[in-house]
Amino acid sequence: MTAPRIVATGAGVISTLGAGREQFEQNLYAGYAGIGPSQLFGEESITAEVRDFVPQTWLGTKGIRVLDRAARLLCVAAEMALSATGLKQPDHAEGDPQLGLVCGTMFGSVHSITSFDWSGQTEGVKYVNPMEFPNTVINSPAGQAAIKFKLRGVNSTISAGLASGLFAIHYAAEFLRFGRASALLAGGVEELCEESFVGFRKAGVLSPSGLSRPFQAGHDGMVLGEGSALLVVETEERARARGVTPLFEIAGFGSAHDAHAINAFHVRGQGAAAAMRQALEAAGVTPAEIGCVIAGAPGSPAADQMELHALKEVFGPRLAELPVSAPKAALGEAMGASGALLALCGAAALDRQCAPPTAGFTGGEAALRLSAQPQPFSGGAVLVNCFGCDGNNASLVLRRI
Amino acid sequence: MKRVVISGAGLVTPIGAGREEFWRNLVAGQSGIAPVRSFDTSDYPVHIGAEVKEFDPARWVRNRDPESMGRGSQLAIAAARMALDDAGLSLSAFAPRRVGISMGTTSGEPGFVEKYNDIRKAEGLDALPGDLAPKYPCHVIPSNVAIELGLQGPCLMIPTACAAGNYAIGYGFDLIRTGRADLMLAGGADPFSRITYTGFARLGAIAPEKCQPFDRNRKGMVPGEGAAVLVLEPLEAALARGARIYAEVLGYGVSCDSHHMTAAHPQGDGAIRAMDMALRDSGRSPDEVDYISAHGTGTPTNDRIETIAVKTLFGSRAPQVPMSSIKSMLGHTMGAASAIEAVACALALHTGVIPPTINFTEPDPDADLDYVPNTARQTNPRLVLNNAYAFGGNNASLCLARFEGAA
Repeated sequence: MTAPRIVATGAGVISTLGAGREQFEQNLYAGYAGIGPSQLFGEESITAEVRDFVPQTWLGTKGIRVLDRAARLLCVAAEMALSATGLKQPDHAEGDPQLGLVCGTMFGSVHSITSFDWSGQTEGVKYVNPMEFPNTVINSPAGQAAIKFKLRGVNSTISAGLASGLFAIHYAAEFLRFGRASALLAGGVEELCEESFVGFRKAGVLSPSGLSRPFQAGHDGMVLGEGSALLVVETEERARARGVTPLFEIAGFGSAHDAHAINAFHVRGQGAAAAMRQALEAAGVTPAEIGCVIAGAPGSPAADQMELHALKEVFGPRLAELPVSAPKAALGEAMGASGALLALCGAAALDRQCAPPTAGFTGGEAALRLSAQPQPFSGGAVLVNCFGCDGNNASLVLRRI
Repeated sequence: MKRVVISGAGLVTPIGAGREEFWRNLVAGQSGIAPVRSFDTSDYPVHIGAEVKEFDPARWVRNRDPESMGRGSQLAIAAARMALDDAGLSLSAFAPRRVGISMGTTSGEPGFVEKYNDIRKAEGLDALPGDLAPKYPCHVIPSNVAIELGLQGPCLMIPTACAAGNYAIGYGFDLIRTGRADLMLAGGADPFSRITYTGFARLGAIAPEKCQPFDRNRKGMVPGEGAAVLVLEPLEAALARGARIYAEVLGYGVSCDSHHMTAAHPQGDGAIRAMDMALRDSGRSPDEVDYISAHGTGTPTNDRIETIAVKTLFGSRAPQVPMSSIKSMLGHTMGAASAIEAVACALALHTGVIPPTINFTEPDPDADLDYVPNTARQTNPRLVLNNAYAFGGNNASLCLARFEGAA
């Protein structure tokens, strides 16, 4: 039995670089950085947020009031992804039991759960609104999206820290291989909210200068971002049978844990290197066949350093010629959404045969071929990395069809 | 594809810790439900919960400061250590990258949200300590276990609320089945939380005195806490090391009602599809099932709809398939529940005894199946389904079989 090829046939995205694949790619390749003063926390705070977010543009007004920001972001991405691939269920239909959603997230519903508890602690438990309880569960965005879009198949929420999005894509691919679904939305969502923003600022991991400069001289921390990106994944056979052209193949996934510390990057990046090697092996691709790397580096010195070490270990001397892009320079650290956003960067790179610019790059890590300009390459596969500070590392290989 | 077996189980539950104590109390029909101790319930209309009463984190968290992590992580580490001990396994016999963990949860580490609000209320957010945010996101639970035990393989949290344990066991099963890992610890963990308690209390879903699933006078669920971790390994590896095999994992099924965030589909659509998919995944038919571990929360609606779903799938045979709810004793331990119930299923297959639904006094005309009332029963089951349902319309059923030799 040969394992079926798993392909992506479309995507939806809402991010600080805009909404929809086209706008996202345009801004990405223009070298635009979506980082700036926050509308959520006041101008003195710098974020990579979805600015002027009007979910009604995509979702209309019906049923939107009960959705928190994460659910709204996810539903917008789902609406775009389903529409783009002809999988949107008609209004009167019951919905497809073979159509599902796998959603990566890190903080999940933290704002809803904190607000719910705050109400109980300040007004008294008798005055807590029970209608707000459903939004407190971590899987509520995925559940809300399932109701809104009649997704009756698997509905999983996946948490693996900053690597959540890549794990979600892998999880969906496994479900398709086992024939447990015919098509899945797979990716992630993260909302910016006071709890994660203040929490991370207090933790000292945010850039004091408000600049996201992965692998650059002067990098001093990450800029928090948000958004949602979802791929539509299905087997190649099923995509072709319904007359849909696959965009790229989800060729291989790898993951490894450093089992080292909950809030520190492993100095030598052994887990990161192992994740990359596993992904290459699973895809049947050698390091020489990788056309470019979409790095997960968020601009915090320890994380950047760890990824550099790991890249050196996996690619050896070839690293000097290998185009590398660090899109978090533009996207910030969108946490649970990062993996899927970076996968979209990888898909664009594969399609254009050109690595996206690292926004604002003016020089830094000499061992890496980074540029503020797009970097053309010739190659059939790209590697996407997401490495978390809890020691969990994931890599995904995308292949051209 | 490899065959996958359960060869170890570790638990921290409201009725005791460790496989032996848990099972002894479970078949004895002992209840772990008592007045809530971890916070003041005087403002609530209800006062009972299913807490873990005697738990010393320092006994289990040995390589780091137990206070550096939340209770969810502490419970998970304890269950994981117990599971490895129970399996008689030493991790040094494995390549570290080939050993992984997948966990499920409803709330992760809600204690840090409570702490955030307590600080915000008392002193303001400026007083927030720097280590709070990194310790909160739910993925830290499996990461903390990985760090404590040195697991360097796949590490994942699947926070699909009250069905999460089954999802996590399913993922671990897939990784072993496809040869991506040699050993997986899989289960669920949830600490007792005033947030969860408030939510269910405000929904009017908490029973005032006891949990009595499927009884005519059932008045609701009882929030609880706990953790369970199962050791999953390939059958051939378990046989080679002469392991005690509790059960074989055959398959699982998941579905979404896509109907309502908190209310189940009125005809049990998603529940039926999850059970059906689990049996198909296992290559078995409903005719072969001889025990069902019910989701059975004790709320009027859940128990009625689960009964409808079982009747729809099993047809005229439904009354002959015993179905019990151990939540009658354990309360609803949230993301840990289906992992604890999976252990109960594995031990039922191993010992031949199925655990009872306690507090069952009066049959309900709307729920008229064999719920194994009040007393454990020797039935020597061969094939069981473990049902779990959750907020978000999530449903997951796991199919386990008695292991009867390698042939």
